[in-house]
Amino acid sequence: MTEQTRPEIAIMDGAAALPRRSGELVFHDEWERRAFAMAVSLCEQGQFEWDEFRDCLIAEIRCAESVHAPGDTAAPGYYEHWLKALEAVLERRGHAVSATL
Amino acid sequence: MSEHHHHHAATSPYLEKRRDGEQTAVLEARVKAIEDLLVSKGLVTTAALDRMVEIYENDLGPMNGARVVARAWTDAAYRERLLENGTAAIAELGFSGLQGEHIVVVENTPAVHNLVVCTLCSCYPWPVLGLPPSWYKEAPYRSRVVIDPRGVLAEFGTEINADVEVRVWDSSAEIRYLVLPERPAGSEGMDEKALAALVSRDAMIGVTRAEAAAA
Repeated sequence: MTEQTRPEIAIMDGAAALPRRSGELVFHDEWERRAFAMAVSLCEQGQFEWDEFRDCLIAEIRCAESVHAPGDTAAPGYYEHWLKALEAVLERRGHAVSATL
Repeated sequence: MSEHHHHHAATSPYLEKRRDGEQTAVLEARVKAIEDLLVSKGLVTTAALDRMVEIYENDLGPMNGARVVARAWTDAAYRERLLENGTAAIAELGFSGLQGEHIVVVENTPAVHNLVVCTLCSCYPWPVLGLPPSWYKEAPYRSRVVIDPRGVLAEFGTEINADVEVRVWDSSAEIRYLVLPERPAGSEGMDEKALAALVSRDAMIGVTRAEAAAA
């Protein structure tokens, strides 16, 4: 495994920009960290290209923006989009994920 | 793009987001389902995921800035480009920041010592320096460095002669400063990699000097 951040991940900008405060990544809940790490890990292993994941992420964000007005706190958070994008990319590769609740 | 306003709280709905326990439980279950699947297929291990988060949270670090400084010490044309347009010259080495952030590089000389602060909050050139140290974010440094820069420098063990001008640079959401320290005596003949190891985070904030013995 490489021990350096990949610039295409670390410095995404625009809609896909990672939530940061003074440069630090912001995670509110542990599941956000796990979801972040899984997407990055799979990309590091060559399971998918980062561009594909980022495009899915942007599509999820755009889709939510068309439903929720800016500032609507009922709108999904950044890592909810991230999670959906991860599920979508995995599904394309035949890894159907079903959470049992 | 305005995702990156440090000086205005509550611009991002993400930061205001509060979920109830039930919503969080659903999200946790979805993430756990993916993790279980990936672990069962041998695609990830829990330890590797922990390490991955750690790298991204911590490793956008001062080594990036140190490489920029070492290049400037060894390549006069690069140094010139760096002082003229910091953001572009830093990007040449593969480090870049979010839109709207301009990195201005200020050079220490025998006559001028530069020091960086963010008096309003904790703006910091994170692509080259990583996360700011805690003292950089705290009020004592932020307020005192403007009033008594030489006193603050002395606390870091950095004595500045009276005939050297001390310049304090106040970062903002728009402009981040990086100090180009003086190349230390005794570093003649060192290659770029060895030189980079002499450049500390604190030297690039300006609270210390680069020292040849630091390695």
